[in-house]
Formats: sequence, structure tokens, C-alpha cells
Amino acid sequence: MTHSWTNLDDFQTYIDGGGIVEPNDRMPEEFRSEVFRFIEFHANSELMGGLTERDWIPRAPGVRLKQIFLAKTQDEIGHAHLLYQVAADMGVKSRTEMLEDLFEGRSRFHNVFHYKAVTWADQIAIAYLVDAAAFASQRAVFAECTYGPYKRVLKRIVAEEGFHMRHGEEMLLRLTEGTDIQRTMFQEALDRWWWPAVQLFGPDSDPDDPLLRWKIKSQPNEQLRHAYIQKYVPLLQSYGFTIPDPNLHFDESADDGKGAWVTSEIDWEPLIATMRQGGPDSRRRISNAAANYADTAWVRAALEATAVPA
Amino acid sequence: MRTYEVFLKRPGKDEFRHAGSLQAVDSEMAKILARDSYCRRGEGDQMWLVDRTHIVEVDPDLLATTVDLPHRNNDGSAVAARRKRLREQAS
Repeated sequence: MTHSWTNLDDFQTYIDGGGIVEPNDRMPEEFRSEVFRFIEFHANSELMGGLTERDWIPRAPGVRLKQIFLAKTQDEIGHAHLLYQVAADMGVKSRTEMLEDLFEGRSRFHNVFHYKAVTWADQIAIAYLVDAAAFASQRAVFAECTYGPYKRVLKRIVAEEGFHMRHGEEMLLRLTEGTDIQRTMFQEALDRWWWPAVQLFGPDSDPDDPLLRWKIKSQPNEQLRHAYIQKYVPLLQSYGFTIPDPNLHFDESADDGKGAWVTSEIDWEPLIATMRQGGPDSRRRISNAAANYADTAWVRAALEATAVPA
Repeated sequence: MRTYEVFLKRPGKDEFRHAGSLQAVDSEMAKILARDSYCRRGEGDQMWLVDRTHIVEVDPDLLATTVDLPHRNNDGSAVAARRKRLREQAS
């Protein structure tokens, strides 16, 4: 049945009682615009991530890795398709409007796609560390996610990201077991990507973050970031790599005496810069994506022109 | 551009299920995009695509009329009570 609510309190009671919101429901405008923005951000990130991955298909060493990167690129672009559809169905912007905003630099996407991948090891750091951070935050959304269509596409996306991670880990282990040159390459990549990956979770959540209140997000940013650090610090150290943080230490008294890894104070300036398209590689990435869209305009025009009427 | 709803059926006894939606210029293109977006790893062996404008949507109020019709069900409590009474009479 189609739901409607008299006010935000009424809506909150519905959400707190385990309710799911569907596109035909008369959802509060605040919910529509916040959730739309969140899904648009996710869609943009999948598209920009897929384009990044695509750059490495010709440079991936060996046929098997080229096949893997090709498949991953298709998956990521597919995720963008699914998410743009869910976002477009919210009736705020059309898919074309979202793409144009992205290519004009008017909308946002994940900080990690504003940096330059220098070597093959960077791409592995992205495929493992960065994807792990993105995966953790997506899973935390999937865990609750009160917007039905988003939850349903996340199920598919999370499943696919799961084996992307395994590909990433396999590639990392190959470098780990490789030559000194390969290990040095990964250490250098880790130096470049550790902080962007940690910053991906964002600064501490506002205690009154509407996305938490409406159970789109299931956990605040700081909890997800903390869990990520606890998992990846010991793992990377066990492979003999150094986390690029001189103040990193294990605090026995943290987490109610269970002990936890504590990092330096996080500098949020780099993250804020990416939100304004001012990251080290933002301009090139956005203009490449825009050029790609312009170059393929004839394909869309040809398809429209030859479309068979229903 | 048209919007299609994608329904996918896994091999076996499961019913067709709604998998999601996609935009395509026509049904031929929609088939290719649907395979690439929703059936990348053998998620189904049958697929239906329905142009969204062809869906006949039923007014929720019409469906709401069937919620409170207890005589269409039988929870078995009356049967259980009678059986129990008859068992007690027989013993």
C-alpha cells in the first residue's frame, strides 16, 4: 500500500518500527532530497571508479588480470547504471541531469577518485585498501537501508564487491610474496593511499545526522573508520608493510580495556579539497570522464535514431 | 528513452522475481543492458522485460478491501476446540 505521513515525527515512528519506504510513498521532502543526494553520490563514485579501473585494463600484467579488470570495470559501470536508475526514480533529477552535473564538476564523488594512481601497485592499493573502505561503508548502508529500491540494488552491489575484494587481496599477496622491487612498489603505494582510504569514511558523524536517524546509514562514520583501522593496521604490518603514520600506536586502555590502534589526528583538509573538486587529480579525472561522455554522444544519438517504437 | 522493469527467474522452482529497472531506447537494447546489469554470473535462466508504461497498477484501496475478511481464512481453533470436546466426551 502507498504510505503517507502527517509529519516528520510520524515518519520517524514508522522508520523506528522497521518500516521501509518505497518510491510511490508520499515520503517527506527532506527524506527524498537527502537520500537522493546520497544515492547520486554513490552512483557518481561507481562511475568514476569504473573509469579509473578501465585505464588499467591495457596495463594489467597478463591476460588473466586483464580479464579480471575488464569484468570489474563492467561491474562498476553496471552498479552506476543501477544506482542512477534508483536515483532517477526519486524524481529529483533525471539520469542525464545527474551525468551532466558530474561532468560539469557540480556534484560529488568519493575522495579516493580524486587522486592519481602512479604505478600498478597503486591500482592494487585501490583494489584492496580503498575498495575495502568503500565496501565497509556500503555494507553498513545495506545492513539497514530503509529505502527499498536502494536496499535491493545494494544487495547485488555488495555481493559483487565481495569478490572484487578477493581479487584485490590476491593481487596484494602476489606483490607481498614477490621481489624486493615489488614490495617497495607496494609500500610506496601504501604511503600514497593509506590516508585517502581512512578519510573515505568522512569526519565523525553529526549525532543528529538525518541519514542515521532515518536508518539509511546503520553506523556513524567514526565507528566504521575505527573498525577499518583495527582490521587493516595489523594485517598490513603482518605482511611487513609500514603504515605511513609516525604516531600510530596500540593503546591498551582504548575500547574499554580491549585495546585498539590509535592513529594521528586526521587532517581533513585533503578530503574537503576533493569535495570542492580540488584534489590532486580532480580536474583531469572529471575532464576525462566528460570527454568520454562527449565522444560517445554519437552512439546514444544513433541508438535513439534507430530505436524500434514499442 | 524508455524505462523497463526486469524480472528474472532462477533455474528450479522459484517464481519470476523483480530484479530492478533500466533505461533503454528500445526493447532490443534493453535485452542487452538487462543481461549486462542483472545477469552477469548466471543469476537466472529466464528473463522478462516489461516497459514500465505497460504495467497496469492496481489502486491500493482496492486491495485494502481484502485485509479484514476473517471468514476467508480458518485458523483451525474452532476445529481444535470441537475435537477436544469430542475426545473428552468419548473418554
